[in-house]
Amino acid sequence: MAKSKQEISRETFDYLVELAALDLNKDEADYLLTELNNQISAIQELEAIDIDEDVPPAMHGVSYTPENSPPLRTDDWIECEDADAIIEQSPVMDDRYIIVPDIPHTTLE
Amino acid sequence: MQLCDLTAVEIRDHIISKKASAVEVLKSCLQRIKQVDGRLGELESGPEAKEDTERVHAFITITEDTARAQAEAIDKMIAEGKDPGPLAGIPATIKDVFCVKGTPSTMGSRILANFNSPYTATPVARMQSAGAVVLGKVNMDEFTFGSSTESSAFQPSTRNPWDTNRVPGGSSGGSAASVSAGEAPVSLGTDTAGSTRQPAAFCGVVGVKPTYGRVSRYGLIAFGSSLDCPGPVARNAKDAALVLRTIAGSDSRDATGANLPVPDYLKLLENEIKGKRIGLSPDYFQITFPNPETGKYLQQLVPKEIRDAVMKAADIYRSLGAEIIEDVPMPNTCYGVPVYFVISRVEAASNLHRFDGVKYGHRTVSETGNLKTMYAKSRGEGFGLQPKLRILMGMYVSAAQYSEQYYKRALRVRTLIRKDFEQVFDRDGRYKLDALLTPTTPTTAFPMKAVYGDSVLMQYADQLTVPANHAGIPGISFPGGLDADGLPIGVQLLGPDFSEGVLLQLTHAYEQATLDTDWRKISPAVLREVKDG
Amino acid sequence: MAEYEAVIGLETHIQLNTKTKIFCSCKADSWDEKPNTNICPVCTGLPGVLPVLNEKVVEKAVLLSEAMHAQMQPISYFDRKNYFYPDLPKGYQISQFDKPIAKGGYIDVSIPETADPQGKGYTRRVRIHKLHIEEDAGKTKNAHNIRRVDFNRCGVPLIEMVTEPDLRTADEAAQYLIRLRQLLRWLGISEVEMERGNLRCDGNVSIRLKGNEALNEKTEIKNVNSIDSLRDAIRKEIDRQIRETEKGNKIHAWTLEWDEDAGVLRKMRSKETEADYRYFREPDLLPLQISEVWKDSILKDFPERPLDRRQRFSDQYDLPMYDADILTLERGLSEFFEEAAAAYKGEPKKISNWLMNDVMRMINDQKLDPLKMRLTPAYLAEILKLVDERTINITTGKSLLQTVQDTGKSPTELVKEQGLAQVSDDAQIREICVNIVKDNPKEAAAFRNGKESIIGWFVGQVMQESRGKADAKMAKEILTELLCK
Repeated sequence: MAKSKQEISRETFDYLVELAALDLNKDEADYLLTELNNQISAIQELEAIDIDEDVPPAMHGVSYTPENSPPLRTDDWIECEDADAIIEQSPVMDDRYIIVPDIPHTTLE
Repeated sequence: MQLCDLTAVEIRDHIISKKASAVEVLKSCLQRIKQVDGRLGELESGPEAKEDTERVHAFITITEDTARAQAEAIDKMIAEGKDPGPLAGIPATIKDVFCVKGTPSTMGSRILANFNSPYTATPVARMQSAGAVVLGKVNMDEFTFGSSTESSAFQPSTRNPWDTNRVPGGSSGGSAASVSAGEAPVSLGTDTAGSTRQPAAFCGVVGVKPTYGRVSRYGLIAFGSSLDCPGPVARNAKDAALVLRTIAGSDSRDATGANLPVPDYLKLLENEIKGKRIGLSPDYFQITFPNPETGKYLQQLVPKEIRDAVMKAADIYRSLGAEIIEDVPMPNTCYGVPVYFVISRVEAASNLHRFDGVKYGHRTVSETGNLKTMYAKSRGEGFGLQPKLRILMGMYVSAAQYSEQYYKRALRVRTLIRKDFEQVFDRDGRYKLDALLTPTTPTTAFPMKAVYGDSVLMQYADQLTVPANHAGIPGISFPGGLDADGLPIGVQLLGPDFSEGVLLQLTHAYEQATLDTDWRKISPAVLREVKDG
Repeated sequence: MAEYEAVIGLETHIQLNTKTKIFCSCKADSWDEKPNTNICPVCTGLPGVLPVLNEKVVEKAVLLSEAMHAQMQPISYFDRKNYFYPDLPKGYQISQFDKPIAKGGYIDVSIPETADPQGKGYTRRVRIHKLHIEEDAGKTKNAHNIRRVDFNRCGVPLIEMVTEPDLRTADEAAQYLIRLRQLLRWLGISEVEMERGNLRCDGNVSIRLKGNEALNEKTEIKNVNSIDSLRDAIRKEIDRQIRETEKGNKIHAWTLEWDEDAGVLRKMRSKETEADYRYFREPDLLPLQISEVWKDSILKDFPERPLDRRQRFSDQYDLPMYDADILTLERGLSEFFEEAAAAYKGEPKKISNWLMNDVMRMINDQKLDPLKMRLTPAYLAEILKLVDERTINITTGKSLLQTVQDTGKSPTELVKEQGLAQVSDDAQIREICVNIVKDNPKEAAAFRNGKESIIGWFVGQVMQESRGKADAKMAKEILTELLCK
């Protein structure tokens, strides 16, 4: 059992689950919260590293230069080969529209 | 020798010279699959039967009809005197992380089990245009989250052909196992933290992680966008070079693809390695990890057998005229895994947002009448525990109040990891290395179910492979012997950006120098009855 | 009662008129297409797809940045804005969060007398906070308790421009939009049809006591689809906030949706519960670098800004501001004017008059492009010259406009062909006048008895008789002479 300096509380966990749009049963939730807290130690490791002020963040390891970077796309239309095949993947369709349930919204005033 | 056990280059030469037809080669592979693979991975797989534990289970989907059509087309072209392409008739398996038009492209997950891709990933399309015969989609850890392929929603998951009680590695377990078992001479996998190299090491085959941006990621279902690298799995350097040459190169659909010409890797294989400077780093012969109780760093040396295999390779290179430079410091290696924890999960959580049940994949069938509930239920039902864990971690780390502290900090430590490599590969620096020679993994293949529940330990095993993903540099794992249990040991080469040619050349040189060693005469356990029979 | 002032900021989303979407090669304009036909794997967020930036999007953003006097950043970055919504297929929008393509800038909006409570008219400088590039989402339509999703529009390029809270009245906000629309069309960046969603605007409204510097809680107004709606909605909200404040109630940071049919604002959701978007750098795109060379090539033909041209027209051509304003509403028309004035070499006001009335009517009715019409600036100048020289009369001149546009022939040619030349021959006109006077003794008597205005009727008769070709002025002189005898 990991003893971490910081811990993700149940409240924070529930917030994350809501943010991630995941429906969990109790067992899953318990397992995930435990595992998350185990893995928090990785974050602590990073915090302890001594980094000079001027070390920049790296989005990619490889360095992109004007010479090896790909050019931007030209503004030319390419017709999609198979729009039908794309929307046929949708679970619920009607008359070429993808159908989803509505969002509950409150309109007061 | 069976057709399916020939190398890819040999198969192609056979077909072009009409010594064998593409259809015959295909038949040979299909027969091998029948003999050793066992049942396909599926969602509702039921209980594990005894036979399951003796088979490889590399495949989720076998595309026999299209493969046959492809093979027949190749034979027809040859009969008509046309050039079918540099991969003419070579059967290949494709990790199910790639979208291939008309096939289920599942990511090893329930949430995409019914996704029939409307388009084909660029690397696969290039292989197909070059004449390759795609046999089907092979199994993987769900969403590539794992190092053993066990977390796949499609069970039974893949087993190691050398010992079917052991894992093939992951996440490209199906790729490595299918090549190792002779089901296909080549496979296309992906490497995000070592996920091509580690299974290659476990299964005794060659696995290549090209430089980030060398091979297009278009069509590769994304997990770690700044880390993912598609690459070949093959039985030797020549085959790997052949495939890499075909799939590499810029793609107008990938804005992170390097705009650089692709060398002829095959031609480069025969270059002399005399004078090449190859480094050995103590930081790669141990695993550095924090004590779970105290947080202090502990070191554990890599097992002697593995270390010996690497040193043997060093000896061979020395005898061929290369210079071996020892004690090369790579001090930030130990941070690779925690940095990976943070960066990959932020990217993964975001990349997995699109799986919401709206446009494709699994949508809950329960009545919801409410969009929010539909999202939550679809994702809750569709994702396994490992993806859920990574999504939540990613959410936590990138949440506004923590982003600066965790995510941005990780990106800065990544710079430090990259600097380690830049310094040792610097032509004007102290070490001027052409390559680093290291073990691929700190263990050989571990037993099934051994670490599935304990994700931290499984992750630290990537310590020797993941720095290359952070730095973007290329890496290769090749077989360097067997351990006392008869399991393959992987040896790794890491090189500067876009030095795949040199790494393949070094791999090839090692292979040529060890052609007659005893351990090369031993084949994986699943094949021993087959080959004799 | 305390005096309040409103503090208004506007956030506009401008759809660019590039040929293709921002990150894929589907069409940018698919207004008339059937749903889910203008789509591809990239803009529907299929697994495994990647964005590739359209270079024209960058060019248009650079143009706008220059027009708004903003500081264009040589390096800017794309970020992911993560949230769940059915019209957002990837589950995140690619936008620019903290390092946008341009920062700062301003536009001086002229507020006409009609919109000024003081009745004088003034200029309001509206500062720009930033402008950035992002992708548009798809569309959803409500139908009972389901939503129908269409991705045709998903991925259309947008520029989002956010002002500082410098606007003080609903009218000022409307004027800002009017001038912005003019500018966007001027530069050829957007078609700005608000009804088609090419230009969308949200307003942030708060109030404070006059003289105070601090900013109070603001509400956000969404779903206004026209400039008039924006004006109405903001006015209503200002009134509401004043009412509530007078009652002693707090103003909450609500999001309010404008209901066009009912003409009211409805509360949508509280800003506090907005999602944490977890912005981070988009790893699938490289940083956007705009070199000096590229920037210069984009800006090398940068036009005079519309309000600058308006001022110059007023100064240089001695035109009333009213004229200058109308002539510079559209760039094409303003260029037409200058070319015509240069060809005419006479009083520019005359060209202006013709343009503002007859020519513009033609352009609007027949949906013409001033720079592509067959009635060229040179031809217009020619018509005016012919009228000045009294070769044709003004009525003929006006009808020639359409004839030139229909045939593309020069006015001089047409006059010759159709014999349109004015009859200025004293003898000819005199003959007609004499006959008219003779044939209409009653009217002649009326004139002689004092009804001088009937001379107009007589002129009309002469014009009729001469099939419009008589020199009207001359006819009037001769008639007067005859009738006064």
